Amino acid sequence: MGPGGESDSTVADFIARMDRLPRGRHGLSPEYVARNQRERLIAGLIEALYDVGYQKTTVSLIGQQAAVSKSDFYKHFESKDDCFIAAYEMAVERIREHVDLACGEAEGHDWAQRVRHGLAALLDLFDAEPALASIVLVEGLRAGRGVYDRYQAALESFVAYLREGAPLSPTGAEVPEATAEAVVGGVASMLGRRILAGEGEHLGQLFPESLEFALAAYLGAEEARRITSAG
Amino acid sequence: MTSMRPELPREFVAGHKRRRMMDAIAELTAEQGYEATKIADIVRRAAVARKTLYDNFDGKEDLFLSAIDTSLREMRVIVEEACERTQGEEEKVSAGLEALLDYIAGHPAESKMCLVEAISATPSSARLYDVGVRHFVELLRASAPSGADLPKTIEESLVGGVAWIIQQQVRRGEAESVLELHDELRQFVLSPYLGVGRVGGAGRRK
Repeated sequence: MGPGGESDSTVADFIARMDRLPRGRHGLSPEYVARNQRERLIAGLIEALYDVGYQKTTVSLIGQQAAVSKSDFYKHFESKDDCFIAAYEMAVERIREHVDLACGEAEGHDWAQRVRHGLAALLDLFDAEPALASIVLVEGLRAGRGVYDRYQAALESFVAYLREGAPLSPTGAEVPEATAEAVVGGVASMLGRRILAGEGEHLGQLFPESLEFALAAYLGAEEARRITSAG
Repeated sequence: MTSMRPELPREFVAGHKRRRMMDAIAELTAEQGYEATKIADIVRRAAVARKTLYDNFDGKEDLFLSAIDTSLREMRVIVEEACERTQGEEEKVSAGLEALLDYIAGHPAESKMCLVEAISATPSSARLYDVGVRHFVELLRASAPSGADLPKTIEESLVGGVAWIIQQQVRRGEAESVLELHDELRQFVLSPYLGVGRVGGAGRRK
């Protein structure tokens, strides 16, 4: 992210802010402009991907979205895939920061409340930025091995959140080891399928269902519903 | 072929060759990925003439898609049959899951092709994977214990969770031991319907 604590900006603000950069002799250092170009290209790829899909996202289109020339594109990235990986990493990092922050705020609350906070933060972010959700949950999976490993690593970090302080089942039995992974993989897959079904603009609406599903695997359906509807 | 086994009818030989080419692409994509797999590798592995491949398929992608489609169909039929011949909702889900894991353990290359490679190889193969998942979502919806008032996306989340666990096992090259996951996955799938910790005993036919 650019200088001056811009790490919590959205892709849209980012583009808007870039548009306000004075043209020509703006007195900014070449490093700063180069950095902005790189970030603008990443934002451009995410938008292009969301609009037309991976196949039709060309270097020219990314350049157009970012207002960066094709030759400047190649100063920052070797190829579309190279830019894709950078975009993917940035997207995952933003999600992680966002969820981290929310979980930090819920520190001291019980496990279910922490899950609620983390998941709410995740779905709020996806709701505000459907393009971000799409690259992470759909396009990333289709982009081949290098990105798949990053998808897997991203999911793993959420598994750790879920495992931390997870309760025993209501009967006192240990919840199966694979549960946290299955819950995270399940939520990611379900959201991805909803995006494919054309509901990507409304992922926030899936918050109660996602929370209920995640909690039900540990606490049972009734308790999960009680906590979910308690707000 | 005819010189070796003159007694075999022509259709049998042709069908057998198709199958061999589909097996070959499954093995090769499982070993080295779709991109790296060349027509030359496929015809060599299947021991067929290049012309035979083009007589049967439009090319590499067509063969790949046919192989995925065939394997996913087999997988689905085996799971559906296991559900159909089993009584009781809890037992149905358990039997279906066991049949699925059993198929994967017995077909590691086909499983890797369908459950891992298909997702990222080509847009059409990704679509076949998505359709495959949708069938399992529908099957779970039809077979799962009724009565519980659960979110409408519950089956998508459960099937997605099971798929994720299986995919990781398959990617690690451990498809053969996937049946070891049966009990955990069965509990995971049934818990929302029956209650956590209330899913019945091991449930696997020994």
